[in-house]
Amino acid sequence: MVAEVTQNRGWLVSGLVQKWLNWIGPILGLLLVILVFSVLMESPGRYLSAFNLRIVLAQTVIVAIGAIGMTLIIISGGIDLSVGSAIALTGVITALGLHSGFSPATAVVAGIAVGGLVGGVNGLVITRLKVVPFIATLGMLGVARGTAKWVAGQQTVNVPDTWVNGLLVTFPDPAWLLVAPGVWLAIGLALAAAIVLRNTVFGRRVFALGSNELAARACGIATDRLKIWIYALAGLLFGLAGVLQMSRLRQGDPTVAAGSELDIIAAVVIGGGSLSGGEGSIFGSLVGALIMAFLRNGCQQIGWPNYIQEIIIGAIIVIAVAIDRWRSSRATA
Amino acid sequence: MRRVLILLVLLSAILPPGCTRPSTETGGNKKLTIAVIPKGTTHEFWKSIHAGCLKAAGELSAQGTQVDVIWKGPLREDDREQQIQVVEGFSSQGVNGIVLAPLDNRALVRPVEEAKRAGVPTVIIDSALASDAIVSFVATDNRKGGMLAADRMGELLGGKGKVLMLRYQEGSASTQDREDGFVEELKNKYPNIQLISSDQYAGATRDTAKRASENLLNRFADTIQGIFTPNESSTAGMLLALEDIGKAGKVIFVGFDTSERFTEAMRNKQLHGIVVQNPFNMGYLGVRTMVEQLQGKAVEKRIDTGVTMVTPDNMNAPETQTLLHPPLDQYLK
Repeated sequence: MVAEVTQNRGWLVSGLVQKWLNWIGPILGLLLVILVFSVLMESPGRYLSAFNLRIVLAQTVIVAIGAIGMTLIIISGGIDLSVGSAIALTGVITALGLHSGFSPATAVVAGIAVGGLVGGVNGLVITRLKVVPFIATLGMLGVARGTAKWVAGQQTVNVPDTWVNGLLVTFPDPAWLLVAPGVWLAIGLALAAAIVLRNTVFGRRVFALGSNELAARACGIATDRLKIWIYALAGLLFGLAGVLQMSRLRQGDPTVAAGSELDIIAAVVIGGGSLSGGEGSIFGSLVGALIMAFLRNGCQQIGWPNYIQEIIIGAIIVIAVAIDRWRSSRATA
Repeated sequence: MRRVLILLVLLSAILPPGCTRPSTETGGNKKLTIAVIPKGTTHEFWKSIHAGCLKAAGELSAQGTQVDVIWKGPLREDDREQQIQVVEGFSSQGVNGIVLAPLDNRALVRPVEEAKRAGVPTVIIDSALASDAIVSFVATDNRKGGMLAADRMGELLGGKGKVLMLRYQEGSASTQDREDGFVEELKNKYPNIQLISSDQYAGATRDTAKRASENLLNRFADTIQGIFTPNESSTAGMLLALEDIGKAGKVIFVGFDTSERFTEAMRNKQLHGIVVQNPFNMGYLGVRTMVEQLQGKAVEKRIDTGVTMVTPDNMNAPETQTLLHPPLDQYLK
């Protein structure tokens, strides 16, 4: 890292400022999106109001928690296309648990555990059967979705009223929480994941694995076991995202989150993650998720049709990655 | 810094040209903004509702109350999470009222109740919502529609035979009521008609409906004399499947909702009756009821928009023609 930086033409910046720029980039992008919409709107007061902020934050949580898990996977050089199906399956499992009369805590733990199981199976298929992550998780996308529909009896599973239903509400109870409990949960998990990635041996190994798998193995890292752990850990987070999605719908819906994998991967990529591995940040992924949520919210408030939203988000993904590629090619020039 | 500037330039370049800011105050009159959220935007059914909403807005504006209708469906049709996000977006945007056709009678309860808490009342159209926090429920008497279909079936079969019913989708209260009405009327008035299949679902699209119909016909085509389907996509799918195997016209087929294809099929004796709703009236009364509520007038809690059995015998009458061909072009520019 330091060696790269000293080769920068004419940039008398130290490695620390370079890292600071990495951080600032996504935040500036987010502020830019908010600024552009505020300028275009006739009454930006509503867009920037606390009420709207609470809504946008609650809408971002599911993608954000999915993005935390996906960041781990992408940094390690892998990919997981089955996250949307995992969200549906774990939501259904939790709903079935609540519906059958289990305690909310048990149902939630069961949902999260099933998520970890799905992730673990992904990891096993990738390492033991030597199927590339794209294909392995593509298969799991179908298997998990089908299992969700099967277990739910091809219908939605309604749940009784428990504290689980209050996790992502716009008016949190107690009111001093300011935002929904689910938002605080996502923030806490993001902090924990960021600390693990930067300051633990496990985190270092994840980066090493994504950076150069052969070199990592040569250094004595048990790459297969590490991969299984990464997918399983991410799976637990996807399971939590599924529980929260169920909380938002107040039902287990086997058809939910179809296509969410693309939103989640986009969040990681906008935040600086590289699909070839070795790069990424939890903070960046969260900001990426926020950018997309504010974009959607802004497009609706301005009154633009749905298709404009889709086009803009697609364009932003490409632009963000292009800028990132350009910046890193300058850094290694 | 350069990265930010480039992002700014690129973002402003992709913004749609000629995007207009929504206007607020017009003269001294208070303007009412009503958000209308359908389940989807492609079926002609929703377009009829849209036209009805615009007719009501036009009439009210001419009478002195400026009414603006914002029409927005979920980004992905039939996706509950997306419809929830649209409702949340409107409640924070500060529209005066919401007219909503909920995709699910449970999943949309929380956002509607939160909108009410934020001061935005909701009128429900087409499908019921399991909540009392609404202004009014403006819809077809779906149960009666199902019963009309059963009566037509019984009449044409002479009171005996074997029939099957292909359901639409779980969680859709409107079609559930039609299915229940059909089954009950058959049981009460036509005990010699046997319902040999009623547990299959057509799914959300014509495509899934065709596949489900093919599978059903594979099993039962040679034993049944009558078929009932409870909405447009399931009727269209079943019609296609019947044509494919050459059975169109050989079984008594009663469907629901209108389309050009169905009127043609009725002329060709492939379809023997369709239960027609009045979506134009639904949109019209939905908006009128919302405005009356906002003006402080008393409104009915349940408003019936009317249901009619259209057969090859009465389809050319002028009243039936208006039902079959609502004046879309007049209102949808």
